[in-house]
Amino acid sequence: MNPADIKILAIVPAFNECGNIGRTVREIRLRGLSTETQGDSPLHVDILVIDDGSVDATAQEARQAGGMVISLPFNLGIGAAVQTGFQYAQKYQYDIAVQIDGDGQHDPAFLDKITGPIRRDEADMVVASRFLEKTGGFQSSFSRRVGIHFFVHLINGLTGVRINDPTSGFRAFNKKMIALFSEYYPHDFPEPEAIVVAQQAGGRIVEIPVMMRARESGSSSIRYFKTLYYMAKVTLAILLLMIRQRKVKA
Amino acid sequence: MNIHIVAMVVSVVIFLFVIDLVRRRRLTFKYAISWLLVSAGAIFFAVFYRLLFGCAAFLGFELPSNFIFFALFCVFVFLSLLLTVFLCQQNNRNDVMAQKIALLEFELKELKKRNGA
Repeated sequence: MNPADIKILAIVPAFNECGNIGRTVREIRLRGLSTETQGDSPLHVDILVIDDGSVDATAQEARQAGGMVISLPFNLGIGAAVQTGFQYAQKYQYDIAVQIDGDGQHDPAFLDKITGPIRRDEADMVVASRFLEKTGGFQSSFSRRVGIHFFVHLINGLTGVRINDPTSGFRAFNKKMIALFSEYYPHDFPEPEAIVVAQQAGGRIVEIPVMMRARESGSSSIRYFKTLYYMAKVTLAILLLMIRQRKVKA
Repeated sequence: MNIHIVAMVVSVVIFLFVIDLVRRRRLTFKYAISWLLVSAGAIFFAVFYRLLFGCAAFLGFELPSNFIFFALFCVFVFLSLLLTVFLCQQNNRNDVMAQKIALLEFELKELKKRNGA
């Protein structure tokens, strides 16, 4: 398939990201079309910002920057926000969905790179990782890295999939995963849980090294969690996911 | 023996109160049924309290009152668990509805924009 014929949707969840979101949308528009794709023609990317009940001008800013904006009537949390994006992608039959944070942490220049394995049909889901190689860039704080390391082993032990950056919210999905996640997407701790859900559905998960930036303004919602408490909750959520009764598809 | 009369009156009042709530449409049958069963059980044991004492002795409770507290505790744990399940279900439905509304609102806006232009 010609790269220009592939419909890609960039899902950008944003909660009170006024000051960041406009720049993120413009960056995806400009740099998402970069031509560093090995000799391919530029990708066509639609940008869908999910305004998760923001009380600031997130929606207006995103719209002015040229993004489509779906505003949730109240704050549903990142999982439900991202799922709304999957529902849109499913409804309008996008070939690839890319999840990319609205806070400027994720560099849209990597759009080509992380959609590559899906365009080549080598993966159903691609996770962009800070830790896969010594890529430099933003690596997160020490305590968070310890927590992330723990999840790497937990998920690896339970599912056999080794993802080195399980909390990374920079991801790409193919049609199979779009269909899966528009139906069911974990709401509590969506990033690590989604890996487990994808693996349970038989998805091929591939990790790709990228460089991430520190947040431009505002603060990450996880920073204020007591790391241990957060780890315990995510662990429990993942364990519950393992014993969850799965819908059997005919 | 006054305590039995008090217990009987209280359980009858609760039973009637639940029925009144259903009558005034403040409770639907689905949510009233568990309360009705609990209060009916309370009335039953308030009348046939000797049965209650028998049960307590059979199960090895030294005091019948301990048995009553234990039974009540179990009932309320079960009821609150049931309520949490309902709450969770409502929460999920709320989320699904919010997502649907947001999607529809977006599509409506796009449609209007296209028709207006």
